[in-house]
Amino acid sequence: MKINEQDKQLTKVRILVAAVDVITIRGFKNATMREIAKEAKVGDATIYNYFPTKEKLLYGYCEYVQQQVMQELKDISNFHEYSVQEQLQQLVETTLQIWLPAREFLQQVFELSFGAPLVGFTHLEETKRLFTAMVVDILDAAIEAGELPEQPYRELLPRLFWDYANGILAYWLKDNSEGFANTTQVIDRSMEIIAAILQTGMVGKLLDLVSFLFRTHIMTHTEVLKSLSQAPDLVASKRRFMEGK
Amino acid sequence: MESVLPEGKWARAGIVGSTALKVGLREVQHKVKRPFMSLERQQADKLDTDDKNAELIFNALTQLRGTALKVAQMLSMEVEILPERYRKELEKSFHQVPPLNRVLVRKAIQEQLGQPPEYLFTSFNDQAFAAASLGQVHYATLQDGIAVAVKIQYPGIHVAMKNDMKLMRKLAPNLPNPQMVLQSLEEVGARLQEEVDYAHEAATTQWFAEHLKIEGIHIPQVYPKFSAARILTTELMGGQHLDAWLATNPSQEARNRAAQSLYDMMVYSVRELKRLHVDPNPGNYLFHADGSVSLIDFGCTKQFSAEFIHILPQLLKAFLEEDVEAILAAYRILGMDHKPTTEHWYQEVLRPFAHWVALPLQTESFDFGQHQDYTSNAREIIQRLSQNTKYLPKRIPLKRAIGFPIY
Repeated sequence: MKINEQDKQLTKVRILVAAVDVITIRGFKNATMREIAKEAKVGDATIYNYFPTKEKLLYGYCEYVQQQVMQELKDISNFHEYSVQEQLQQLVETTLQIWLPAREFLQQVFELSFGAPLVGFTHLEETKRLFTAMVVDILDAAIEAGELPEQPYRELLPRLFWDYANGILAYWLKDNSEGFANTTQVIDRSMEIIAAILQTGMVGKLLDLVSFLFRTHIMTHTEVLKSLSQAPDLVASKRRFMEGK
Repeated sequence: MESVLPEGKWARAGIVGSTALKVGLREVQHKVKRPFMSLERQQADKLDTDDKNAELIFNALTQLRGTALKVAQMLSMEVEILPERYRKELEKSFHQVPPLNRVLVRKAIQEQLGQPPEYLFTSFNDQAFAAASLGQVHYATLQDGIAVAVKIQYPGIHVAMKNDMKLMRKLAPNLPNPQMVLQSLEEVGARLQEEVDYAHEAATTQWFAEHLKIEGIHIPQVYPKFSAARILTTELMGGQHLDAWLATNPSQEARNRAAQSLYDMMVYSVRELKRLHVDPNPGNYLFHADGSVSLIDFGCTKQFSAEFIHILPQLLKAFLEEDVEAILAAYRILGMDHKPTTEHWYQEVLRPFAHWVALPLQTESFDFGQHQDYTSNAREIIQRLSQNTKYLPKRIPLKRAIGFPIY
């Protein structure tokens, strides 16, 4: 009997949802693959065909969330009429909405990913790719439509927005206001700033300034440092120190 | 929203704090300068200081938006506690409410009703057609083709509100009449809490729709299935706001009908229902071509005690007869004490007030067009009276004590 692609996809989602339930209750460290397999009603061996490790489950769910977000945005019939600010805001809000039932699970993802940044970054690569692809689409469409001016350092913007979105998720995880009202406000208000930054091409201008300052002044400073390190007093005291005086 | 709104409690505290500081500094400057000035200059300078203070406070309020806006509206209507200059600045805030964008509208509906608008309504216009207090109103159609108005509250405004009220109290000592402002803020705070509770408003609207059957007054039907704590869906009433309606040049007959309906509604509400629609914001009345009026926004209603209803006619009668003892006795029952009750006070303060209250009641019909200064006269008269009014512990604000709102 051949398992078709659709069934496979359904099983995969079932395992991911089971993983969220088990990990939320038992914690990432204590949860076992066996428990998750049982919860998902798949064989102990089968689960490894889909997810070879527990980490893969963790980050597999993050990817699944991104896919749902994408679908959700596609379902908004007049999404293309939204302003770029509204589109980006909807992206962040929808991300929160999809994460809501698995908020405690996300807490664990954050602890594991950002507690050991390198590990987290490599694992979240695919999630990030899915997320930034949506941002690229939104920005490209806005630039093409003339809603936004041409953005210098355009490839940098989606990555910055990914960092921003993660910051919002972190804020949301700590938010204990009723209905996460504070997060809503923070998003709404920060989005105004982001829109203004995009409108004015501020990121590019800032980077130009930094680059100018770097080229113009860092070189001078290295000259100063060089002359300092060769200053007679310093050389003498260094020698005394090295000789243990 | 063009300008960046200040975030969080700390940023908000920063705004209020710095304004309080600035107002304080102005007062000090004013006091330091005063001894060296002539009397005329002193008065001109005081007015100037008032102007600058009003501007500063107004700036702080508009930066806070949301709650502050509401407080500004309410304080500006409590005519007796703020001088003219402050009021003018505050009144500017009436129509400046930051809009919710499509994302927030969608989020609010999804959160409150469980589904996005396209699943709930046959059509839903995501551009608001009117600003409501602490929210905005959208056109929509229900499955059976009924046109409705969907009122949506700013997500999270109720959470921010309590913090804001604390901050407003910080600002109060710099206003003239700080004691009364503080007292008013408390009442305002309680009313605000009521106003953000749309479930309460839905229940009140339904209650009035059932009980207030007055010829020429319409009250919208509520659709509970499409309403929640922060969303209120009601029948679309049509009609126009007063300014727009007057611009259509309605007949004298229609004008009279509108005025008579409103008056009947007020008297009937107080006497029979013991409960009154007390948000006299002009935006809450919609006028129809035939002179009938739709009442919307029942977020703020006042329940009167049987005692008050009993005293009111006696008080009005005492005003008519200029019977000072009866007036003061009625006031004491309502929780207001007046001292000193000298002959001068009676002639200069109470008598003009009694005369003002009784004026429209003395004739069969009263033409406000011929007494154009009737409402504007009230401000000074009431302010003078309130300065001599001592509220006994259980305070009933003057505005409601005389039985009808002034604005």
